Amino acid sequence: MRRVSIVQGEFHVASQEGVVISTLLGSCIAACLQDPVARVGGMNHFLLGEPGADSPVTGVEMQRYGVHAMELLINALMQRGAQRSRLRGHLYGGANIVAGLGGIGTKNGEFARNFMRTEGIAVDRCDLGGTQARKVEFMPFEGRVRAMLVKDQPLPAALRPAPLAAPQRTGELELF
Amino acid sequence: MPAAAAIKVMVVDDQTSMRAMIRRALQDLGFKDIRDKAGAGEALAAIKSDRVHLVISDYNMPDMDGLEFLEAVRNDPVIGKTVFIMLTGSADKEVVQKAAALGVNNYVVKPFAPAALKEKIERVFGELV
Repeated sequence: MRRVSIVQGEFHVASQEGVVISTLLGSCIAACLQDPVARVGGMNHFLLGEPGADSPVTGVEMQRYGVHAMELLINALMQRGAQRSRLRGHLYGGANIVAGLGGIGTKNGEFARNFMRTEGIAVDRCDLGGTQARKVEFMPFEGRVRAMLVKDQPLPAALRPAPLAAPQRTGELELF
Repeated sequence: MPAAAAIKVMVVDDQTSMRAMIRRALQDLGFKDIRDKAGAGEALAAIKSDRVHLVISDYNMPDMDGLEFLEAVRNDPVIGKTVFIMLTGSADKEVVQKAAALGVNNYVVKPFAPAALKEKIERVFGELV
């Protein structure tokens, strides 16, 4: 068995038997997608941009992070032989752990549900919301997922929502 | 200064959510005539039969990718000069270089802010009103 751990902003795709992709979630979302015919699957871990007092953010600007995160995962799956029409998904996370953030976990969850509905991707299991962190383990070849609530532990720093970051411009070429 | 409302746009992306997001961003910039397609093949057919001024196309699409789409547009005697802006990922340096060689007018790296899209469009058309 090979374990791959991902954190916020990352995704991983695999098509080998016995691979486990895992992550720890607070208000972020992990989408687990699998094509059961091609036996390829993947998981991401993302957070929408968070509106702040000194950086007002519109709905479009918030959603771009989530849409991009989902697109990266779907494109990687398709490059491994998945077909968009066969994809099935699970959604986890979206907890409102830290008070005073305007229910960012709820917003993340709403975005994830809307995205799957808009893209026509069937959702087999949805475990969103609440006030506790989750640990998610996904086996992409087998299509199996295990999600556990993480109880009575101080929230790891990695699970606290990150402040809104400007989009990375690394790698951009100045040709125009 | 060109009026955004007078510019006809075709948005091409295989992801419905991305097309919807770009459409909203363009509407906020004052664009009125916005069409969209999920695939480059159908977009090519559509703009051949009803020309547009601006194509905003994703690179990473199944069947025909953004570079093949750009090449097909540039090789067409009727729509060959249509302004073409490509949407790419941050790791697609090689794609941008190939797109430049094929005559792309500009490119935008995902995930982009509406302001970034506006800036890239204005670099081609001039300041929008």
